[in-house]
Amino acid sequence: MASKLKKENQAEFKRYKEDVAKEGKPFFPYAIFHDTVMSLVVVVVIIALAVIWKYTADGTEAGILGPLYTEEADPGTTNFIPRPDWFFYFLFYLLRIFKWPETVVLGTVGVPTLLLVLLLTLPFYDRRPERAVLRRPVAFVAAILVVISMGVLTWKGATAKEGSEAVGEVPAWAEEQGFADDPVAVEGATLFAESGCLNCHVYLNAGGQNLGAPDLTEEGLKGRGIEWQVAHLKNPSSKVPGSQMPSFATLGDENLTKIATFLEASKGPQG
Amino acid sequence: MAKSARQAQIEQAALYPLDWVEERSGLVGYTKWMLFRNVPRDVNWMQTLGSATLTAFIVQAVTGVFLAMYYKPDPNSAYQSIQHITNDVTLGWLVRGMHKWGASLFIILMFLHMARTFLFGAYKYPRELNWIIGVLLLVMGMAEGFTGYLLPWDQTAYWATVVGININATAPIAGPFIAQFLQGGAQIGPDTLAKFYSFHMLVIPGGIMALIGLHMYLVVRLGVTSPPWSKVAAGRPRDVAPPDGYGEYREGLIREHEQEGKDS
Repeated sequence: MASKLKKENQAEFKRYKEDVAKEGKPFFPYAIFHDTVMSLVVVVVIIALAVIWKYTADGTEAGILGPLYTEEADPGTTNFIPRPDWFFYFLFYLLRIFKWPETVVLGTVGVPTLLLVLLLTLPFYDRRPERAVLRRPVAFVAAILVVISMGVLTWKGATAKEGSEAVGEVPAWAEEQGFADDPVAVEGATLFAESGCLNCHVYLNAGGQNLGAPDLTEEGLKGRGIEWQVAHLKNPSSKVPGSQMPSFATLGDENLTKIATFLEASKGPQG
Repeated sequence: MAKSARQAQIEQAALYPLDWVEERSGLVGYTKWMLFRNVPRDVNWMQTLGSATLTAFIVQAVTGVFLAMYYKPDPNSAYQSIQHITNDVTLGWLVRGMHKWGASLFIILMFLHMARTFLFGAYKYPRELNWIIGVLLLVMGMAEGFTGYLLPWDQTAYWATVVGININATAPIAGPFIAQFLQGGAQIGPDTLAKFYSFHMLVIPGGIMALIGLHMYLVVRLGVTSPPWSKVAAGRPRDVAPPDGYGEYREGLIREHEQEGKDS
């Protein structure tokens, strides 16, 4: 059967070659005229974007198209929200669908690799000569699903909230985790929400999963103790080798103890 | 109309360099073959997306060369050199702005070009190989986006790269090695920046240029497809035209059918 398909393909391509030779028009000047117009449009759009970007922004002050640059890179920052370029938003958001650590590899490598292989090998599993899109229902539906899901993931990635907006959640956390009657733990929770921990960590329903940071909702069940937690906050990689987490020593011993108390009181939702 | 001797002389003098090159390389012939090849009568505006993508890439290459003259790939001076380019160098802001926004447009155009190819079914026989090259170009284009994003060495750049490298690290088996190779040390620092710079302006663009050359060679060799909805599409199956004097087309078909019946 395969050889029949091959013969059909070859016959059609031969017919195509003959038709183009007989009825076609030369690339120059006809087709290249359209190409030139389109290319000029592209260059004008690029220049226009550059001009709008430059003249509505001022240094680190964002304009319509964002700032010219943000502050200089500082590895010691604790509350900067990591965000990739917009065309990686879909991958960025895919990460939050899969939970650390059991399935995160599906989001980071599994799904993207699978999609890439499917894309790369498309001509080998879609071998029918049919080209009209309405007579290729599977391809048509698959294309629409891909466009919609990439659009939704990009949009969700662009509007995802994380970080210090979670301070308002602290009373609900105290209620749910059952540490409402421990004022030190509540203060620790407030500090936790304010200090940018949720840029990387997840706590109950808040926060983002970045840099492989673990979910801290049930941190208290690990039995590490307040002393361990304080030492870890001061110098994370001394307790967890290879950790990407920055040091929070600048918060001071008193505050770190509060955060440690809060973490130790976090034993997962009660009932 | 006969040309005057003087005209013929001028023409010959003007064409001499071309003839010289043609005799030694055949390049003039190849160029003619490329320019004056036929394309289907009904090519669509959507089929200009490929050349638009090429234009965006050329913009990136040209602005990139100028940026490289002023940019310093070192954590101590990268941020200052970006500020210098943006605020002090004559038209530096325009060159950097075009490079920054051209990158987004390049990615968008690659996706649109791919969508057009998909919609037209233009990845099917005999153009499968060119689809594969196109997907590789898309991946390399996104790698350019990833490596270029670190270069301004601002907070956005730094933290996005931290996340990116950590994503690489989660891959099974090879992941941690790739991550360590990209990072080149315990922390993102001078080695990372130099490495990303080298990839961004040497390795990946070199690969992209080679693949674009191959991509375009295959386009010229295999030809451009007609839109699948076209009524005059090149390569559509034709019915045999009715001979003169047999009236309507339909009747011709019936007559032919009868003929076949008698024969058997």
